[in-house]
Amino acid sequence: MAVDPDDTGQLVRGAAGGDEIAWRGLVARFSGLVWAVARAHRLASADAADVFQTTWLRLAEHIGRIEHPERVGAWLATAARRECLQHLRTAGRTTPTDDMDRLDLTPAAGNPTEEAVLAAEKEREDADLAAVLWRAFGQLSGRCRELLRVLMATPPPSYAEVAAALGLPLGSIGPTRARCLQRLRDEMAGIRDGLTPSS
Amino acid sequence: MYEPDDELERELRRLAADAEPVPAELIRAAVDAFAWRDIDAEIAELVYDSLLDAEEASLVRGPADQRMISFAAGGMTIDVEVTSAGPGRTVMGQIAPPQRATVDIRYRQDTVTVEADELGRFRSGTLPPGPASLRLRPPPGDAGPAIVTDWISL
Repeated sequence: MAVDPDDTGQLVRGAAGGDEIAWRGLVARFSGLVWAVARAHRLASADAADVFQTTWLRLAEHIGRIEHPERVGAWLATAARRECLQHLRTAGRTTPTDDMDRLDLTPAAGNPTEEAVLAAEKEREDADLAAVLWRAFGQLSGRCRELLRVLMATPPPSYAEVAAALGLPLGSIGPTRARCLQRLRDEMAGIRDGLTPSS
Repeated sequence: MYEPDDELERELRRLAADAEPVPAELIRAAVDAFAWRDIDAEIAELVYDSLLDAEEASLVRGPADQRMISFAAGGMTIDVEVTSAGPGRTVMGQIAPPQRATVDIRYRQDTVTVEADELGRFRSGTLPPGPASLRLRPPPGDAGPAIVTDWISL
């Protein structure tokens, strides 16, 4: 029987039975989520790569023992979050530098992320909107950036997966999302009106 | 119904996909992770990691470059101490109850094998940081399944 790529539970059961196509289906479906969890925690690139790989290796080892196959996205998000926290602890103990300013998406002057973003955006007709949006995103509080960065995964994660990724109650995701998107609009309006001092 | 929040979220998603896509080599690594499964082995689950589970206070007082990790499977525990020296990691382990075993330390592209002595002690050379897992094989002639630990990030 062909595995339905949209049926997560079936993909897990298929992979547990040794079906590599089903495993590839899981990677296609959830690699964006796992990556977004790592980026949301603002890890250095090498640490984000470690988190990503360790999370998938752990799922491969546990694939036959996943209690709720249809909820494997939340399982991955939880595992990735735990790895992120461990890396943040390690970084905090061994490197006194503040990774936050260096590595997050905040478009500071000369930040290569911003340059890459801006270069890519030039080719698009909605370059202005993208630049304003990215800059506004960088001005949000850490909490809003974390939540939105997980929500920005492709394909879109479920609220249960977002909650698992950030260790937040499921019921708080919807209201927090609405509040953070409103804050984002406010920041965008501020940038457009020139009310925010430009850097 | 028009949902301005959904539209804004979609715009953010497009931006993230352009600016921070999942690196292609990581997707390949995730696909390859499937080949690392050891379906006949018993899993020793991660039950303690001083980086995550220790009291904040003891964490601060403890040696800055030592991390204690425990795995458990059935009646067996594997305690591991990870020491960092620059980018290098050294693993010292203790199997309980004490027993001889062959220990495969599996990491990124390679596996190194060390022997646990009759007291269940083993020790690695310097390893690179990154994902790693231990695989314990009983001595030749000894029945019993191999045991693999959860993957951790050294």
